[in-house]
Amino acid sequence: MARLELDHVDLTFKVRSCNVITLKEFLLGKIFTNKTRPNMEVHALKNVSFCVEQGERLGIIGHNGAGKSTMLKTLAGVYQPTRGKRIIEGRVSSLFEIALGFEPEASGWENISFRSYLQGETPKTISKKRQAIADFTELGDFLKMPVRYYSAGMLVRLAFSIATSIDPEILLVDEVLAAGDLAFQEKARNRMKEMMARAHLMVMVSHDLGSIQTLCDRAIWMDHGSVRMFGKTQDVIGAYMNSVKPETAAA
Amino acid sequence: MDSDCLGKEFEEFMLSYLSSIWDYRYFWFSLVQNDLKQRYRGSVLGMGWSLLHPIAMTTILCVVFGGIFQQDYRFFGPFLLSGMTVWNFLTHSITMGCNSFFAAEAYIRQHPTPMAIYPLRTVLGSGFHFTVGMLLVVALSLWFLGFPGILPILTLIPTILMIFILAWSLSMIFGLFTVIFRDTKHISEIGLQILFYLTPVMYPPSVLEGRRVGYLLKLNPISPFLELVRDPLIYLKTPSLETFGVALAITALTYTLAYSLLRSWEKRIIFHL
Repeated sequence: MARLELDHVDLTFKVRSCNVITLKEFLLGKIFTNKTRPNMEVHALKNVSFCVEQGERLGIIGHNGAGKSTMLKTLAGVYQPTRGKRIIEGRVSSLFEIALGFEPEASGWENISFRSYLQGETPKTISKKRQAIADFTELGDFLKMPVRYYSAGMLVRLAFSIATSIDPEILLVDEVLAAGDLAFQEKARNRMKEMMARAHLMVMVSHDLGSIQTLCDRAIWMDHGSVRMFGKTQDVIGAYMNSVKPETAAA
Repeated sequence: MDSDCLGKEFEEFMLSYLSSIWDYRYFWFSLVQNDLKQRYRGSVLGMGWSLLHPIAMTTILCVVFGGIFQQDYRFFGPFLLSGMTVWNFLTHSITMGCNSFFAAEAYIRQHPTPMAIYPLRTVLGSGFHFTVGMLLVVALSLWFLGFPGILPILTLIPTILMIFILAWSLSMIFGLFTVIFRDTKHISEIGLQILFYLTPVMYPPSVLEGRRVGYLLKLNPISPFLELVRDPLIYLKTPSLETFGVALAITALTYTLAYSLLRSWEKRIIFHL
């Protein structure tokens, strides 16, 4: 049974204007730096609680910087909550920042292995999937080349094919559908749909309200780090649209 | 909570942490393999360089310094090589450990993994060269100096294990510090340069003994490890229990520091990359 729960989760982190603390600042910080370069504390998630059960499809909507992606990363375990609890039952597969994380000097084939191992495959399970992943990329002989010679589109093809080769229990998706050229996008969209249908539980972040409406049965509206509304997709999207409308009219 | 209970919790956490490192073994191991492969990419000799490099360095240093210190090459060759092998392993673990988390940024942003695997990756990479170097030292020592006996040879097993744990811990500590204070890398490079001259890598400890700076050798945390390697292989004797004790204490202390830092900083690393 897949299950996902956040229980009164807060996430804060400190960011500095140039993001780095030098040793001098560390040692003398109390005396000097707090005046000249104050820490900016980002309160990214504020007291977020919700629960998603087996079979549910949850969409997260909201403005830029409302904490949608942060929430997804917290669900994935990449960010650890500062306070509160994250309860997970089931294996988590995530699809975000997939275009990063290649070994530039290694070939496409080799990178298929590295990434798959990171996703929890073993040499046994991977030997069956490897060819299917390669076929899906349609990169052919380019897979023998180091990936640093790849174009951005080729990298996305490779990343997407590897990332979607898994059998997800809990699937976390951050709008990744703009992958590659037109022909590949069509293919990628179908692949995503298949994968979402197979997943026991899905959480998805998107600005495309249309796809949230068709794919998700429940939705969360995030606003400045807190949950503004949690309920049926139609209701949440309706309320969100209503709140946006006056602004667009004014603009 | 009493201290006994805390200790138990500490232990349990460590075991589950080690097992999660094991779960990712295919991932980090394939990265280590890749690092080694890339290092010799396109070169004619390939992996042969990892054997040829220490031989060449030893020969050169033997010619240069053998004359200065008036040492016989049959003794000085294995002596130098053993010192350099241990020293290089530890310094590479530190200087490359400083970058280990930055190099893995993309993976860290994507997937929750135990952070210790990234310093492990760098340590295993340089550990390969360490292993080759050590095999070479054993071969040279058997050839030039003779067989030291079973017991002295067997002591090398715990010694090498300790050096590996020390290297991993150091690489973790310096990696974590660099994430928070970027200056760590540069400071450590200078520090290591100073430490190099205070460590009997190139010269026999007897050069400094009896002089005023002799006590520095006793304080040097690297010296006991050099002694543990050299006693069986160069001086053909079993290292003293005292040396073992000191080395063990240094390893345990470094390990505990690395582990505590990791436990308290692991969750924050991603916000500082």
